[in-house]
Amino acid sequence: MSNSPHLAEGPIVSFRGVSKTYPNGTVALTDASFDIRRGSIHAICGENGAGKSTLMKILFGLESPSAGQVLIDGAAVDTATPDFAGKHGIGMVHQHFSLVPILTVTENIILGHEPRRSIFIDRSKARRQVVELTQRFDLAVDPDARTDTLSVAAQQKVEILKALSRDTRLLILDEPTAVLSPPEIEELFNRLRDLCAAGMTILFISHKLHEVRALAETVTVLRAGRVVGTTPLAEVDDTTITRMVMGRDVDVPRRQRQRTDAPVVLELDRVSTRSRDPADRIEDISLSIRADEIVGIAGVDGSGQRGLVGVLSGLMHPASGSVRLADADMSRAAAPDWRKAGLAYLPADRYARGGTAALSLADNAIAGTDGDKALQWGPFLRRGAIRKRVQQMIADYAVRAGGTGERLDSLSGGNAQKLIAARELAGSPKLLIADQPTRGVDVAAAALLHGRIDLAARDGAAVLLITADLDELLRLADRVLVLFNGKIVADLQNHAGLTPAALGPYMLGLETAA
Amino acid sequence: MIEFFGAIADPAVFATVLRVMTPLLLAALGVLISDRAGVLNIGMEGIMLSGALIGVLVSAATANPFLGLFAALIGGGLLGALMAFFINGLGTQFIITGIALNMAALAATTLGLFLATGDKGMSGALKSGVLPNLDIPLLGGVPILGPLLSGHHMLTYLAILAVPAVAIMLARTPFGLHIRAVGSDPKAAAAAGISRNRVQLYTLTLSGVFGGAAGAYLSMGYVSWFAQNMTAGRGFIALAAEVMGMGTAWGTFAAAAVLGIAETVAITMQTKGLPSELMQMIPYIVPAVMLTVYAARRQAKARKIS
Repeated sequence: MSNSPHLAEGPIVSFRGVSKTYPNGTVALTDASFDIRRGSIHAICGENGAGKSTLMKILFGLESPSAGQVLIDGAAVDTATPDFAGKHGIGMVHQHFSLVPILTVTENIILGHEPRRSIFIDRSKARRQVVELTQRFDLAVDPDARTDTLSVAAQQKVEILKALSRDTRLLILDEPTAVLSPPEIEELFNRLRDLCAAGMTILFISHKLHEVRALAETVTVLRAGRVVGTTPLAEVDDTTITRMVMGRDVDVPRRQRQRTDAPVVLELDRVSTRSRDPADRIEDISLSIRADEIVGIAGVDGSGQRGLVGVLSGLMHPASGSVRLADADMSRAAAPDWRKAGLAYLPADRYARGGTAALSLADNAIAGTDGDKALQWGPFLRRGAIRKRVQQMIADYAVRAGGTGERLDSLSGGNAQKLIAARELAGSPKLLIADQPTRGVDVAAAALLHGRIDLAARDGAAVLLITADLDELLRLADRVLVLFNGKIVADLQNHAGLTPAALGPYMLGLETAA
Repeated sequence: MIEFFGAIADPAVFATVLRVMTPLLLAALGVLISDRAGVLNIGMEGIMLSGALIGVLVSAATANPFLGLFAALIGGGLLGALMAFFINGLGTQFIITGIALNMAALAATTLGLFLATGDKGMSGALKSGVLPNLDIPLLGGVPILGPLLSGHHMLTYLAILAVPAVAIMLARTPFGLHIRAVGSDPKAAAAAGISRNRVQLYTLTLSGVFGGAAGAYLSMGYVSWFAQNMTAGRGFIALAAEVMGMGTAWGTFAAAAVLGIAETVAITMQTKGLPSELMQMIPYIVPAVMLTVYAARRQAKARKIS
């Protein structure tokens, strides 16, 4: 691991035209090139799906690039070799901790490279190593505590110690602040600055711009798998970075709302949830949606969208606040109650929550219709009537399928989503939750789904649209709410001048306009 | 109560408890090792049965019971490795795999017995050996303790010595740490460079070796022949013992001892005229009752925390 002094001057890591295409055809990275300067704190910024994770997986040796080269200390390396990261002194703090809950702090840190004495673990040496690590890096944790008894912040310290325990010189942190409170974030940043002063190179992945600015010297912005630019933070202002992250402004045609005075259908009053997972956490959310109104939720993934959907579908209950649907209190309602009250739901994960992959199209299409006399005769299903109805749904929604007996997972993502939409939008829902309705869906199917969501609103549904696709958001929503850290930080009327770039500062936590 | 302890202190009764508990303890320790790595070895019954037949056949063929034992250990280990191959190599579900192994072993051992002896019931025609009892020098002469502790079957001593060995292996060796890590959180273990498949292959093999020893004890110690389905559910009682032991070697030892005492009670009660079927239920009722109590306690504790 020792380097000649000549090489030690150059960048510690260089990406040279790195591309990654997965076997299923997904292009995650295209021709990414940039350098990471030795001893610096380097931030990587970008939206979800911009390619940050893929880049880190390549650098950590979990995946190999389809094209291009990774240079470490100026020499090209093959990252997909066993123990690549360990050999090159690369440590990674994962967003989801990789600690074994039932083991002690010491056991977790030494796991995989235990100091040995004959056939036994040298426990006193292991403990000494861990104590030495905690002192050297000023990260105090009890080496003998069982990991699952520690707070999240303390567990993160253990993660960092684990990442530093093998002569690490490059430390990667993937969204490390997501699980921390503000004082804990401040402490983490101080420790990272100390590490950097001691010669460590730190790669910091974040979508929170003020944190990037507080910590890093240089930022590389990724968008849609490409490097938009690498620049010292001192030389760019927030507006420029935001534009780099969000992309060029393209104006989209908007939905025309028919009525603005329709009755309020859904009303949330100061609703909060409690959860360890930030994606499930919402704080003090008040919002109301009228019939014939589409409210779009923008926000970086994990900002509380899942908590909001959970509360509005009966899968989670608010810790405080009240939820009303068409004047009925739904705060403690379970999922079936929501369904009975008129909820239609297009889940983000269409094979896990939207439908059952291994069942037929017909079975999936009639799920939830139990008691429908047209489809049932006593305890028996009327197969003929069902087939006819499902064939009608397939025709109405232009689902490309061989027959009603096919398995749901034999359909492409777009066709499966169309079938689920056909089921959910049958009848007249009072409330429609559309969670990433067109993710991974082809253009034609997306256009059809957009049309049907608009139609459902015209028929009197209140619609909550959660989407990472900002074009889709601006196309459909009458009003845009931005979630950040579980709170609504902006409540904006959608108008022709509203652009993705204008939403950026709210999504990245730089501004509020609630 | 006094009568009970008096009876246990009786060398003959104590020896019966040890005799009954030895196969349970060996098998339960085997179950423990693989369970801590995340696969419950449902196939223990079949592995024991196979070990019992292999031991008899090889010891009869070589006229050497130690070779018989050795073959039973190897055979058990191979069956464990085979299970690991099915579960992690071919992706079968571990419970189904275990049940399949049990059913296949019952049929295969009957067939093997028939081919070797022409009899489907018992191996009485084979001159198979028995593994020796050990008289412990010096200890044998000590009053009271001597007759209690000396002169038991060699596999009984081995089973009891295996308890601290397994406990230390799990707590103090790198392999044990890897077992606990894989069993608790395979993803975190993988992030630390530990392969779940490899650890589970080793633990299931080791589990099979223990099962082979338990089987060899039945046919070359407990009795001196092989009989069709001679394990009679002991592999499943061993599973219960491991669960009652709360995943620790010493707990498993205590559970095996309790079950050994329960079965001894059942055996002695039969001689006092109570219906034998009633008494034969005891080894099955005890784990059921104890597991119910544990479950109730754990739920009470969980309620207290939340």
